[in-house]
Amino acid sequence: MADIPDRIIIKRHLDLEGRRHQIWWRHAIVALLAVFLALGLANVFGQAQSETHADSGPASLQLNAPARLRGGLIFTARFTITAHTDVENALLQLSPGWADGMQINTIEPSPLGEASRNGDLLFTLGHIPAGQKHVLFMGFQVNPTNVGSRPVDVTLYDGGKQLVHLDRTLTVFP
Amino acid sequence: MDIVLRGIVVFIFLFVLVRVMGRRELSSLEPFDLILLIILGDAVQQGLTQDDYSLTGAMLAVGTIAILQVCTSWLNFRLPRLRPLLDGDPIVVVRDGKEIERNLRRERLTSEDLAEAARKQGIGNLDEVAWAVMETSGSISFIKKSDS
Repeated sequence: MADIPDRIIIKRHLDLEGRRHQIWWRHAIVALLAVFLALGLANVFGQAQSETHADSGPASLQLNAPARLRGGLIFTARFTITAHTDVENALLQLSPGWADGMQINTIEPSPLGEASRNGDLLFTLGHIPAGQKHVLFMGFQVNPTNVGSRPVDVTLYDGGKQLVHLDRTLTVFP
Repeated sequence: MDIVLRGIVVFIFLFVLVRVMGRRELSSLEPFDLILLIILGDAVQQGLTQDDYSLTGAMLAVGTIAILQVCTSWLNFRLPRLRPLLDGDPIVVVRDGKEIERNLRRERLTSEDLAEAARKQGIGNLDEVAWAVMETSGSISFIKKSDS
């Protein structure tokens, strides 16, 4: 039999003494990676659309937008307002989380007016006759450095009167 | 700052990934592996620099990876106890012409892989081999019996 090569220790490199556990570490990390991928498949890291809905007597408000996103993603938020009675002067108020660290690419159809109300974004949509819908689309892109959770609440007013409020949180993964 | 942090995360992720993938994948570079490498590079680049097209951004990203690589090899050199973790350990796969099944299975190496590696080193039969050692790089070193 030939001499044992230099630096090869039979116990460690052939019998794997003290190295048996290493393979389990490897399996554990691969399993962890598989769990991470499964979470990705399950939309834990975005960006599937999710729906939030609120109803009041005069109107209902439905929001369709992702609740979880990642840096750099492009997405659309759809606000559907259904007037059950005449809404004379619909105003849509969005919390600053909608614009903070986001690129607002487009707002369609353009609101009649835009303003700031105590730090929130305020869009004037105008008259929505009873039984009709007003659908507002907003296109965004997430700033890659914009990481974390923030409230993205939406409130619908008729003039000064609050009609519907949606509580929502948006989480951005790095 | 963001690019440096992302560079550190990507480096650690790739380092762990390469270590757990095993040496078998490292040693072979078949055409498909080459394509996978290119795809991997592209996927990593997007996460690393994202929409940053600047020269500064590229230099920060590459610099971070380079510094971490230097740090890893320095740790490997200075702290022998970390070597098995950072670099791995060689593993004997053939002794006195006989395959060590348990060690081959651990590295997902088949007898065919072993025979192929031997042929590449001009060895036609494993009976001629005294020792075959799978190195930390994934290549297999063969030491012939003294009478062959």
